Amino acid sequence: MEIPFVVNARKDTGLFNSKVAIWLFLASEVTLFGGLFSGYLFLRLYADYPWPERTLPVLPGLINTFILILSSVTVVFAWAALKLRNWRNFQINMWITLICATLFMVLKSIEYKAKFSHQAVRIKTEDHSVKDFAILEGHLNKAEVKDGKLVKAKKNEEGDYSDNAFYANKIIFKADEVTFTLTRHFYDDFLYEIVKQAGETKFELVEDYMQVIIKEDGSREEEVLVNKGEELSAPAIEAAEEYFLGRRSDDAKLRTRYLKAAFAQRREAGDKRAGWEIAQSEEFLALQAEQNKEIKLRSFSAPATMTFKATEPVILHLDPSVVVSRSGNQLRLRDDTLIGGELLDSSMFLAVDGIDFRFTAQRAEEKGISAESAIEKSWVLKQPELKKVWDAHQEWLRAHVEKLDKKSDDKGLVGEDRYVPTENEKYRVNWDQMVAYHRLGYEGIYDQAATDEGIQKPGWIEGFAGADHYDEEMSKAFVKVTIPRENIGFESTFTPRWNTYYAIYFTITGLHGLHVIGGMIVLGYYLFFGRKMYESNPEWLANRVEVGGLFWHFVDLVWIFLFPILYLM
Amino acid sequence: MAGSPEEVKKAVKAFTFVGGILFIFTIVTVAVATVPWLDFGGHGFDMVDCVIGLLIATFKATLVMLIFMHLNQEKPLIYLIYGMAILMAIFCMGLIGWSKSDPIQFGNEKKADGFYNAEKAATDVH
Repeated sequence: MEIPFVVNARKDTGLFNSKVAIWLFLASEVTLFGGLFSGYLFLRLYADYPWPERTLPVLPGLINTFILILSSVTVVFAWAALKLRNWRNFQINMWITLICATLFMVLKSIEYKAKFSHQAVRIKTEDHSVKDFAILEGHLNKAEVKDGKLVKAKKNEEGDYSDNAFYANKIIFKADEVTFTLTRHFYDDFLYEIVKQAGETKFELVEDYMQVIIKEDGSREEEVLVNKGEELSAPAIEAAEEYFLGRRSDDAKLRTRYLKAAFAQRREAGDKRAGWEIAQSEEFLALQAEQNKEIKLRSFSAPATMTFKATEPVILHLDPSVVVSRSGNQLRLRDDTLIGGELLDSSMFLAVDGIDFRFTAQRAEEKGISAESAIEKSWVLKQPELKKVWDAHQEWLRAHVEKLDKKSDDKGLVGEDRYVPTENEKYRVNWDQMVAYHRLGYEGIYDQAATDEGIQKPGWIEGFAGADHYDEEMSKAFVKVTIPRENIGFESTFTPRWNTYYAIYFTITGLHGLHVIGGMIVLGYYLFFGRKMYESNPEWLANRVEVGGLFWHFVDLVWIFLFPILYLM
Repeated sequence: MAGSPEEVKKAVKAFTFVGGILFIFTIVTVAVATVPWLDFGGHGFDMVDCVIGLLIATFKATLVMLIFMHLNQEKPLIYLIYGMAILMAIFCMGLIGWSKSDPIQFGNEKKADGFYNAEKAATDVH
């Protein structure tokens, strides 16, 4: 059967089928992205932390904008080529479109990779007026544990780190025993990691895990379910867990049965009061007390935990995100598993490429304290190398303020209209400024900044995806610090975990990236499988390409707003 | 919409022209945000820069919709479908904007006339 209106338009609407369909789809897309942009607006307006303004490297975003505009042009050229029945031109333009889309995704993945490897730490100082809240950004350095001590990992002759080296952001714990809770299921990955890191050392069950058997005559007998000395393994815990949860469920059913029986008994005795009144009555409570004795006899009781002891202490390196709380002799993991032992030095080794006191300043202002005095007392400024960078920044700021004052005077601005430095300029040292200060040897910063050229920061190309820690010269500017675990308030890579900015950034750009991939598949289909249709019904193919093109333009349209909002504002 | 070869050839010229404008205005957007002497309003990013950035983006988006997506020659049904969706998106964003002027109120922050007392709220510790 021939499908009507695939080539020619309907008389009443003036449109062919797929045109109506794609516009309905695009309308749904507008509401989808509209909702996400509203989400962005909400998160930005109501952020209770300093919003990361103009934080992304502009160049990759700018190139991606050019790429998408170019592809939008080539996709309409491809459609025009079909209208003019020029298959060769159609192919060339479609190929350019697909290459542009691939380039867009490559740049996006470079940008994402930089975020995944970039570490941020919020500093915590207990005796600080606002608990510090300075933020350090940078890359983690590698460490090793030697003789129970955390030391900096060194490269061997081939320039590689040993297999024992890890990025120095781990909770290092000398574990004696591990206790699993049976009330909830353990995370398999945690268990396997503990077993893997223990290597030759074994964790053995401390005491028999018993089960109760009720025989036909009603007598009870205890039997070992998991033997004492059993090695730590998922099946061993699962067997006990299954038994424990099963018996707990049985006990619950038992209690319900007795409760129902107690109510029935009261009703039979002619008690016509409301249920809640009966439940509070002396008669009912007395009945329950009697029942409880029976329930106790008939109910099962099983230990809710299983403890395994190490044959000798094991040094575990655990990701901080899996540990919910820690004390000197115990760690609690996210699945409520407890690890007993001793917390060792778990410092973070960070090559710092950004110092940010905006959060400290915000919290100080909220408390009515001067931002400068709060910053002065920060843990960060007690580190000589970081202090040197901060002092250099103050020199730059002094010159910058003078320049702004002069500009305001020249324009005759007064009062609130006068130019003042931004919060970013006042309280944040960016990676490119760190490089500039380092190149000047941290000296004569004011003199250089006061000149017309100012300090020479790395250009856009040098910092294509942000701070380049692999560049030997540049990496020297990034101060290496050791941050004790007790001074780490919160840490994360630049992912949604760090803040709501990255949450919405990854959500919108990720969804947009999926649209680019979807568009590539559709347009690629026309390019690689369209020849047959072109020969039989070129107008139909032109209509299809027009519809695919409309989707592609929409993808471009979303990016036109995303680029300024995420990269420039 | 362009149907005949002549019309299509004419449209291709328009596409090239619009592509050029989009490139130029992308550079303008970046320049306004990064070149110091093109920094409008106060020093650094502020509401003026935000409005300028969004106006340029809206202008670029309008060109893409009108020329590349042929909305300038489209049928009324399409205007209806797309217009409703855009209104919906604007309404969503408007809701967030309006919520800024409707903060959560506590009893002691209200003035005698029942309006929100920002001064009192700022000094109160909740």
